[in-house]
Amino acid sequence: MRKYVLFAMVVLMLVVPTVTAAAPMYQGEDYVVQADDWLSKLADKFLGDVLAYPAITYYTNQKNAEDDSYAKITNSDVIEVGQKIYIPTPEEAEAYFANSVQSIGSGTIKIGSMVPLSAPGSVTGGTAMKAAYEIALEEINAAGGVLGQQVELILLDSEGLPERATSAMSRLINQDEVVAVACCYHSAVGLAAKEVAHDNHIPVVFAETWNDDITGSGYPEVFRIAPRSSDVAGVDVDYIATLNPSYVAIMTENTGYGIPAAEITTEKFNALGIESETFFADIGTLDFAPVIERMKAGRTPDVILVLLTGETGFNFEQQAAEAGFGPEDVVMVCNQAASDSDSFWAAVPDGRLCLYHAIGLPTALWTDKTKAFAEKYVEKTGRARPESYAMEAYDSLWMTAQAINEAGSTDPDAIIAALENIQYDGALGHIWFEYGSSNPVPEDLPASAWHQFMNPAVTIVQFQEQGESAADLTVVFPDTYKTGDQIFPGQ
Amino acid sequence: MHASPLLQTFNTGPALLILLWVIFWAVVGGVVTPRVYRRKDLDASSATLYGAVAGAGTGPILPVYLWVKTPELNWRWIVVPSALTLAMLIWAFAVYDPNNLCVNNGGYVISQISNGLLVGVLYGLIALGLTLIFSILGIVSFAHGQFYMIGGYVAFFVVDDVFGLNLNPLLGLLAAGLVTMAIGIVFERLLLRPMHLGQIERPSEYAILVTFGLAFFLTYTVQATIGTNPRKLTPYFPIDTVTIGPVSMPPSRVIGAAIGLVVLAILYWFLNYTWRGKALRAVSQDKQAAAVVGINPLTMNTLAFGMGAMLAGIAGAALVQVFTWAPNVGDVASARSFVVIVLGGMGSLIGAMVGGLVIGVVEALGVGCFPDVSRALAYQQVFGLVIFAIVLLLKPTGLFGREL
Repeated sequence: MRKYVLFAMVVLMLVVPTVTAAAPMYQGEDYVVQADDWLSKLADKFLGDVLAYPAITYYTNQKNAEDDSYAKITNSDVIEVGQKIYIPTPEEAEAYFANSVQSIGSGTIKIGSMVPLSAPGSVTGGTAMKAAYEIALEEINAAGGVLGQQVELILLDSEGLPERATSAMSRLINQDEVVAVACCYHSAVGLAAKEVAHDNHIPVVFAETWNDDITGSGYPEVFRIAPRSSDVAGVDVDYIATLNPSYVAIMTENTGYGIPAAEITTEKFNALGIESETFFADIGTLDFAPVIERMKAGRTPDVILVLLTGETGFNFEQQAAEAGFGPEDVVMVCNQAASDSDSFWAAVPDGRLCLYHAIGLPTALWTDKTKAFAEKYVEKTGRARPESYAMEAYDSLWMTAQAINEAGSTDPDAIIAALENIQYDGALGHIWFEYGSSNPVPEDLPASAWHQFMNPAVTIVQFQEQGESAADLTVVFPDTYKTGDQIFPGQ
Repeated sequence: MHASPLLQTFNTGPALLILLWVIFWAVVGGVVTPRVYRRKDLDASSATLYGAVAGAGTGPILPVYLWVKTPELNWRWIVVPSALTLAMLIWAFAVYDPNNLCVNNGGYVISQISNGLLVGVLYGLIALGLTLIFSILGIVSFAHGQFYMIGGYVAFFVVDDVFGLNLNPLLGLLAAGLVTMAIGIVFERLLLRPMHLGQIERPSEYAILVTFGLAFFLTYTVQATIGTNPRKLTPYFPIDTVTIGPVSMPPSRVIGAAIGLVVLAILYWFLNYTWRGKALRAVSQDKQAAAVVGINPLTMNTLAFGMGAMLAGIAGAALVQVFTWAPNVGDVASARSFVVIVLGGMGSLIGAMVGGLVIGVVEALGVGCFPDVSRALAYQQVFGLVIFAIVLLLKPTGLFGREL
């Protein structure tokens, strides 16, 4: 009997220290900031090293995340009298520095980004991404930032224009001196941005830019977590093929996204023997009546596929509906901007039965991370659910932060190496890059597999009720994710 | 039979022959006629144009008649040949693309024309405001599209329930008109009046810069305050789609055009039957003479700018239930208005209205008939510009412009 007790005690003694070592120890002391205090002075006084102040920042922010009576330090140079901070023990400080490998100055680490925040860009997408970046940033900094420093996100407006993208990217890299970029909504912007990133050798993690050529040029700096146009076109075509159409009308935009997306889709239709025709429109086109009239009078399409992004797509969808040629009259795969369902219903009140391809796991398969992010996002934006581009934005920033931490430095080559080997779990699920410098793209795959997340989930969902929120749409394709049957026009 | 877009076959050869015939006789008529007139010591100032059109429309027939008889060249010798020229071009088009909907489906052509007329009324209304400003103040306002944009937003916020207002659409239109007019009046008094008082050294450059500045100011103020999320109203009045024969017109467009016509009627009454309206017309015809009979040109300037802004504002309010609204919608409207007023003749009110309708119909028919279905919509604005270029080439003062 005594033996067993002794044994249990030994086991406990072994286990307890390991447990406490894994969690933050918090054996230091609380301290209320007095006049004339600054962090390096406190670090010198308590830890015997003026350079140890990032540890105070880090642990105080850790405490703040659990208990908001602690101050939240966003800039180590600024503390205020009366703030409660946490002074770690020298052991804790040492553990912190051992993890963060190195401490660089007192500044912040800058990560750049750009999203469309004004027309002709897709504003509904840009504001979603901005909110997602802000949530990710807050979380990253609450968790101690990267390399022991706070992260500063420099977010510029791309307006969806490639020329803006080039100048914004140059500004981020040369003027703001960002160490990495997590960005972009429009493909045209991504195509312009990747060139600047490549010229300056700064890593970029692309969210929501679908053009195959973005990763297809094989630049070491370029990574993408969004699906490629060809991936999405594959799902569009596979879905549309299940309807056995004889003729499909593709409504697309004259942009770096719309033109290749329509080409890839057409090729895939051709391979299946489905006839299709593409109608091009400039982004920002307002009046679609003449072309809708033409579609109506000509050969009647069995399916209309809308590849026009943002507000331009909304304009087409609503005007088609008003002309008696909308989603309630013809099967219409609307643009995925519809995933911001409030904007969609405001602009396309007659959009019932619209289908669209949704990127990312269906709601039923959300991970805890997805749910946690979704909760914050819905609270912050008031939207029904995080759209795919919001999740991609969130993941792209978090992944960049994780890569810098794993690289242990802000050296571009180190970050790129870390990204090539990254195993990241985020809102979109588990993300990694199959092909890179150590595992070249096989010959039977297209060049765009380089630094590309190869397994994004793409589903086709449908608005089945007027005013339905994007959070609870019916998944109609593919069968693995299906939650209900599609409602057809006139049904 | 409907045309299969995938089986497009074009008879390039025969169509090209017709075109070459037209071009050949146009050149012959254009080159020979003025020489014949000059040799006979007659007025040859418009002989090139008349000869060219005569050749294009009738081949050798009319030019030979002109050379033999050399009648005095008046409108009679241009109207019929122009119509015949148009007929020749349509014939060439029909031969080129016999499966085109515009060739084999009359109802379709009428639908496209009605589409064009419906939006054309409002293009005309916007351009009317711009031409009114030009005829009275002698400046081109680069901020005109922005008044259109603001009018749409004002109507949206008054009629929609985002601010809980949810008022009658008529109040929305009224508010749009009043707000844009107020902005116009304030701007004119503060920034344009000094120009007319001779306080500005280089007035024409000043006018361009200050209205450009206003355009940016208004666009970005709206963007910063209201934001750029797309806005749209449902049709103002719950009417059904209007169907007349092969033509079906969506409610929102019918309502928009009706608003445009009512505003036009009111404007017509104002300009012709009220003292202020007559005064405005007087100033547009002759500033000094108007001043002599007791019309204060400064007051008229303010009134004209305010009214011009108001017309654009109301057009915006009429279209916010047709198109999705964003702070940049004014840009395209501005550009199109310039085309319309130059096409119609700078300063001509009737010209602006007709120009608007022409541009509306040409854009609709262009998109509807252009043989390459894929590109048709992308060339939307080009069709209007082609007509614009042709009119300027043949009649540089525009359709209803006064000779300068």
